[in-house]
Amino acid sequence: MTDISKPITGGRMLLSDEMIQVFYRLLAAFLICAALTILTNSFFSLGNILNVLRQASLLFFIASGLTLVVLTGGLDLSIGANVAISACIAGTVIHQTGSPTLGVLTGIGVGGAVGMLNGVMVTALRIPSFIATYGMLWVLHGITYWYMGGETMHGFPAGFRQIGSGYFLGLPIPVYLLLVFLAIGTIFAQRTTWGQEIYAIGANPVAARLSGIPVARRLLLVYTVSGAMAGLASIIFLARLNSAEADIGESLTLPAIAAVLIGGTSLFGGLGTVFGTFVGALILTLVLNGMNLLSVNASWQPLVTGVIVILAVWLDMKTRRRAA
Amino acid sequence: MREQAMVLNTNPLQRIPGVAVMLVLLCVVFSLMTPGFLTVPNISNVLVQSTILLMLALPMTLIIMTEGLDLSMGAVLTLTSLIVAIVALATGSLLLGLLAALAVGIVFGTINGWLVAVVGIPPFVATLGTLGMAQGLSLIVSDGQSVVGMPAAVRGVYSGTLGGVPLPIVLGLGSYLAFHGLLYHTRFGTYIFALGGNREALKFAGISARRLLILVYALGGAMVGLAGLLMTARMNSGHPTAGLGLEFDAIAAVAVGGTSFERGNGWLLGTLLGVVTVGVLRNGLNLLALPSSIQVASVGLLVIAALFVDGLRSRS
Amino acid sequence: MTQLAQSKAAVSIVQAAPPLFELRGISKEFPGVKALDDVSFSVWPGEVHMLLGENGAGKSSLMKVLCGAYRADHGSFHYNGETVEIASPADAQKLGIAVIFQEFSLVPYLDIAQNIFLGREPAGRVPGTIDRKKILADAKRVLDSIGFDIDPAIRIEKLGVAQQQMVEIAKAISQNARILVMDEPTAALSDRETELLFALIARLKADGVAIIYISHRMAEVFSLGDRITVLRDGRRIDEVKPGAVSSDDLVRMMVGRSVDMSYPRTFAESPGKVMLEVRGLSSASGIAGIDLVVRQGEIVGLCGLVGSGRTEVVRAIFGADKATAGQILFDGQEKSGGPDEAARLGLALIPESRKAEGLALIRSVGDNLIVSALRKIFPRGFFDQGKSRQVANDLIRQLRIVTPSDKQAVGLLSGGNQQKVVIGKWLAAGAKLFIFDEPTRGIDVGAKAEIFALIDRLVADGAAALMISSEQAEICHVCDRAYVMCDGRIAGELARHELSEEKIVKLGMHHA
Repeated sequence: MTDISKPITGGRMLLSDEMIQVFYRLLAAFLICAALTILTNSFFSLGNILNVLRQASLLFFIASGLTLVVLTGGLDLSIGANVAISACIAGTVIHQTGSPTLGVLTGIGVGGAVGMLNGVMVTALRIPSFIATYGMLWVLHGITYWYMGGETMHGFPAGFRQIGSGYFLGLPIPVYLLLVFLAIGTIFAQRTTWGQEIYAIGANPVAARLSGIPVARRLLLVYTVSGAMAGLASIIFLARLNSAEADIGESLTLPAIAAVLIGGTSLFGGLGTVFGTFVGALILTLVLNGMNLLSVNASWQPLVTGVIVILAVWLDMKTRRRAA
Repeated sequence: MREQAMVLNTNPLQRIPGVAVMLVLLCVVFSLMTPGFLTVPNISNVLVQSTILLMLALPMTLIIMTEGLDLSMGAVLTLTSLIVAIVALATGSLLLGLLAALAVGIVFGTINGWLVAVVGIPPFVATLGTLGMAQGLSLIVSDGQSVVGMPAAVRGVYSGTLGGVPLPIVLGLGSYLAFHGLLYHTRFGTYIFALGGNREALKFAGISARRLLILVYALGGAMVGLAGLLMTARMNSGHPTAGLGLEFDAIAAVAVGGTSFERGNGWLLGTLLGVVTVGVLRNGLNLLALPSSIQVASVGLLVIAALFVDGLRSRS
Repeated sequence: MTQLAQSKAAVSIVQAAPPLFELRGISKEFPGVKALDDVSFSVWPGEVHMLLGENGAGKSSLMKVLCGAYRADHGSFHYNGETVEIASPADAQKLGIAVIFQEFSLVPYLDIAQNIFLGREPAGRVPGTIDRKKILADAKRVLDSIGFDIDPAIRIEKLGVAQQQMVEIAKAISQNARILVMDEPTAALSDRETELLFALIARLKADGVAIIYISHRMAEVFSLGDRITVLRDGRRIDEVKPGAVSSDDLVRMMVGRSVDMSYPRTFAESPGKVMLEVRGLSSASGIAGIDLVVRQGEIVGLCGLVGSGRTEVVRAIFGADKATAGQILFDGQEKSGGPDEAARLGLALIPESRKAEGLALIRSVGDNLIVSALRKIFPRGFFDQGKSRQVANDLIRQLRIVTPSDKQAVGLLSGGNQQKVVIGKWLAAGAKLFIFDEPTRGIDVGAKAEIFALIDRLVADGAAALMISSEQAEICHVCDRAYVMCDGRIAGELARHELSEEKIVKLGMHHA
């Protein structure tokens, strides 16, 4: 008796609403830029802005795959550990074979395989995603430390290092990669039927299944893609840092989740965009960069990130309640 | 006529808890593989080392029974351990250190509970956020450095004995008994079962689920404060990454101990056995000269296996 | 506690004393539906008052008003002749009204005693603790008083359904309940357990407890009831004594609903080829040995009481539940997979709960309309917003969905328009067999007519339909044939000329 015709409230439209959300976030990013320009001398310099862009790109690579997972209503806590193991194994391959191409393929392959395992746990074993990927985090963590045995890998071929630290036409290479993957991610989410199905699954998994969407197969795909993107990110980190250590990805998970949530992707699934995640990564990087320029101790970074995560979820709950 | 309860598990073998089987198996395997395992000093060592974990796993059991989770425990433990060290160093008073640690722990627990119960943020994200906050605060208060030069009393908490029994074991057993009493013999404990098992029933009985939830998380914070004291005493210093990831061992112990992640079916004795199982696993692998990274990975596998089994049980 | 020991005598002295509890002229309206319309109802101590009516006749609304879950719009309550107010569950509890719902309010991992006294535990010596001895003794006393001999320290999870029900009743009695409301208490019980429950009811009657008993089983209506009230369309049709009527009389009172019968329906001269054939279908959800056939151009009804297994049958056909035995042939082809296979073959399920199972409420009308047709519209996998909006807007026009735009969130539409979106989604997918589960639930009259016109057009165009409905009048009016279910099995099949509300109700009732 309770689902009797709910009154229709005005002509509020959902999609434009989503665009407004992204617009607000872009505005916030501009305001932070403006504030930092006024507050510091060093923010508005080419060097610093390129630095911010490069940092944001690195964060975006990890967060973009994660966005798809969050869109389905899941979470992947293993991405940081996945970056670490992919980087270390890819580094070994490059050292041993001297082939960067093989290294890149290995990194993406390892990352994708880990993601697929996550997908199997979530779909076939039906373990809740946050706890399954949390278990995976520690499994990977252990394997990586065991594999590296406390060693650090140094010295990769110069050509390979260009991926992370090179410039082309005055812009860092990662920024070009960012543009490429922003385009691919957006096309995948907005312009393919699989992307549409992913939104549908996140919005209501039961209805999605009863609408004929092969939910388990799509979830498997999404977790695999998320893992593969972590693998790709690991390559760029490797090239940027020119070294591989077991703890390379440890502090990346929380910022990646923060970027996704700041970007307006709902923790409860079905709402959000890959572009939003880019803006989220940009905002977080700007905040952390600004703190750095304002000589705030780097120790404050995890604290601020934690607060931001909670605020973003709170905001998400406020906005989402209106629609559902 | 006398009504008989339907006994679901008719096979007596099925009624032996899985965690006990696993513990015995591990002990047998390690005894066979390393001569040093089955010795009084080693067993005592395992138990002493397990007390900190127990202090996290006990409240974690309660939190998981309410269909919650606390990922911030390890980071908050690091923070409270540092607080104990800093206050003890500054004032020379162990008691003041403990009080400060308890206060910080309770504040974090209350924030977690408030975020979960009042704001309504899913527990794993809320506590992931506070994890970051506690981690940041640890770096800030310690400036990234170890806090050393503890008064002698600090070390005494870990190395001391009471009637021949190591003090940590006394504290651990005390905590276990206190939680046992709390869960099985008080109204509070009764309502925790209802929080996970049937929240509707609680509402009909006129009990506020929100307040209870906040209390459960706050209690967790208090225990983390107490564990902070032991942690500092064990290392005789405060270290800015000391407790990181320990929440995972706690979750592992609870999961292995048979507490269900759905339906509010908690078993405190199972958690105790789970803690010892994790301790034995780590100790045995250590004696086999396997690096600690392998220990971490095997605990991860242990959790996934336990959750899989739990999922199978809840579906059948 | 001993007054009015002989229950049958209670009815005769009725006129002398006021009833223990009485409702007068209760009305309750929801937007678009009158759930209760001027209903009066009373119980005396030591009496079992039967409440009878079809699905949706207003029994559960009445119950919810009684226990304070709903607030009545009009009418008054009287306790022992005095006017009282029931505005909340607490008010109802104070008056001694307790409802034994079908879904139990017990905590599985607490023991019987803890459940009986949840929130009212006797305090132990240490503050906050529970006096274990006292709680067990108190529980034992309550259990003894209802003749339930069991150890109160046993956990609820170890009990069967019947035993849990006993504990619920004990809990109600321990709260000094004088008025017990039971909602189909024997639905999940075996014969032996039913006997035990009846013995308990006799005992409660002897103690002067008033019992309001909702049932679908004719046998118990006659054997237990002191009075019978029949509801229909939210109205009290009559109050009768069991000796004065036959079961046929009761069925006649329950049916004959005043439903608008102007739905158009063009029956085909002769049905087409077999579209769906189900042989011996069983599933873990409790259905067994289901045989049915649906032909092209037909609307086939699937009736029976709520809980008789109708939804489970269509879920198994669609692949949402796994079949444990039997065969499903669709268009001559055997199907055994999940919902994705069903959708690909051309089956469509319009589930009972639009919000929970049919729609992604936060997504737009357009997104919802094309979700099942993605593969059909975009075979190469590339999604085109313009094309998708065109398809969606065509459907919005064709189905006359009232929405400001295809971008409106579907959760903001009215029930009727939401239902059109669910149907539209399968039209876009080009489905050939439509399975409707209560397609008109929660929809106003005008929208209902539109939905039926739509279904009629679908089958006229060569599709087939299988329709679950609790509204027998609708089934009789629009269906070519109907199957009636009872207890997870098909109890009978009625051809068009045999279809009548009385036949459906009779076939669907338990006669055991």
